[in-house]
Amino acid sequence: MTILFDTQSLLQRFLTKLIRNPTLLGTSLAEPILFLILFSQLFTKFGNFLPAASGGYLAYLVPGIVLFNAMITAPQGGVSIANDINSGFLSKMLLTQVRRSAILLGRLLTDMTVAVAQSVITIGVAVAMGVSFESGAAGILLLLLTSAYFELALSGIFLTVGIITRKTETISALASVLFFPLVFISSAMFPVSFFPSWAQVFSNYNPVSYTSDVMRQLVTGGLNLGTLGDAYALIGAIAIVTFAATLYQFRKVVS
Amino acid sequence: MSDIISAENLIVVYQDGTRAVEDISFNVEEGEFFGFLGPNGAGKSTTIKVLTTLLRKASGKVAVAGFDLEKSPGEIRKCIGVLSQETSLDVDLTGWENLHLQGRLQQMSGTALDERVKELLELVQLDGVARKPAGRYSGGMRKRLDLASALINKPRLLFLDEPTTGLDAQSRTAIWEYLESLNKKEGITIFLTTQYLEEADRLCQRLSIIDHGKLIAKGTPAELKETVGGDMVNLTLKDPLLRERAKLVLKTIAGVSKVSDSDGGVVAYTKNAGQIIAELVTTLDRNGIRPSFLSISSPTLDDVFLRETGRRIRSDELSRKETEPFLM
Repeated sequence: MTILFDTQSLLQRFLTKLIRNPTLLGTSLAEPILFLILFSQLFTKFGNFLPAASGGYLAYLVPGIVLFNAMITAPQGGVSIANDINSGFLSKMLLTQVRRSAILLGRLLTDMTVAVAQSVITIGVAVAMGVSFESGAAGILLLLLTSAYFELALSGIFLTVGIITRKTETISALASVLFFPLVFISSAMFPVSFFPSWAQVFSNYNPVSYTSDVMRQLVTGGLNLGTLGDAYALIGAIAIVTFAATLYQFRKVVS
Repeated sequence: MSDIISAENLIVVYQDGTRAVEDISFNVEEGEFFGFLGPNGAGKSTTIKVLTTLLRKASGKVAVAGFDLEKSPGEIRKCIGVLSQETSLDVDLTGWENLHLQGRLQQMSGTALDERVKELLELVQLDGVARKPAGRYSGGMRKRLDLASALINKPRLLFLDEPTTGLDAQSRTAIWEYLESLNKKEGITIFLTTQYLEEADRLCQRLSIIDHGKLIAKGTPAELKETVGGDMVNLTLKDPLLRERAKLVLKTIAGVSKVSDSDGGVVAYTKNAGQIIAELVTTLDRNGIRPSFLSISSPTLDDVFLRETGRRIRSDELSRKETEPFLM
């Protein structure tokens, strides 16, 4: 048997759990639609200040919503591992021959699957609302990959906190405190030119801005490979730091 | 018979410096039903965690199923099953899915796994509710499912950490019968920890009594009880001064080997209570000592614990989280 077998077993476990929880599944899938419709209606006048070729505020908003939804999936891994530690299920898994890395991989793949499913729904709704994706199918695939990659990098933060604190409330509180400034003081939802100067400075160093700008290029066309490379390197650096912390804490639990 | 567990000078120290297990040595023979008896916090669960590779020992030499604990933890996990004190199931998954997942994590797959899951569900009589989420099961049903998941890989050695804590008397008896069958009919070696004297007495062929991380006695239940010294005459005396006087008087009676305090009274140990009881009552009466209650009993494992530690394993102090019927 391989690590793939173990990872698949655990991915199947988490997806089954998700299906068994229709409220969570329903809200997870409805969330992107809600955000897309709400933001595009409330702030539609931003479109008046965007370049004519940009596709309007809805096209501007789509990558931001895709990224935001991917981000709010990230804490689920931390919640899950905290629950497994507290219920004794993690110990039960550790008494088997399962490869320890598969316990993390199964969870990460689950969250990435959910993030991609949400992104597909968002893109589908956006197309129905009239947004055209200038980069075509390849651009959409890269958009999905980028959002899942960003979600993966953030997961490490919540896995680490979940292992250390073993409290799901702490994870939820951290997600709120972290995500709101990261998302709303970035170019994800609104053009940075409308921000006060301090917020523009913050946004310029915000990884959410880097990522959403690249994703926006995939919607409106004109992808700059240099910008894509910078964004992927930055996300990669975040992932290295967060997963180094996760692995350090996880090893303490499993050994 | 060969040893399936051997532990020499095992010491376990927690990160905060607490010495949970203090230099204990014991062995368990293949096919044996072996027990660790002791009160809460004695070090029973800690020992199980070390033996099942979940916790690191500070020092000592331990081999389980012929494998060194530090060198081959993976090999050990292949041939053991563990039923933890707390029921640990995924309550969102059905009974069938829980067992199937556990089987896959033990590297089983295909028809062999499906058949094993079916066999175990029938064995623990949960085949009728196999497709219902475990969260809808009663406490007893969850315990049975947990036990089935510990057996998924056909273990040679089964660890049971206080398997009947929280279950009512009827459910406990049902579990005991099932465990006896596993040991006798299927030849599975069982290592049991318990705080129930009756459980240890009924199930274990050999046991060790543990307190504050130290082994204080070991042997068969019969051997341990013999060490107490025959019968006990229990006298209830509320007045402490009268108790002290009674102890002095009892020591003068021929045939009384030992006198000690007990909860609210005094115990006199003798080889045959029937032969001395008349003289004992007369002597006490002559000295103006009239116990409010007198009884004769044969020693129990609690008496062994009392003799070794000066305390009783009091069942009324035990933490019981739930009492639900266990339907077999």
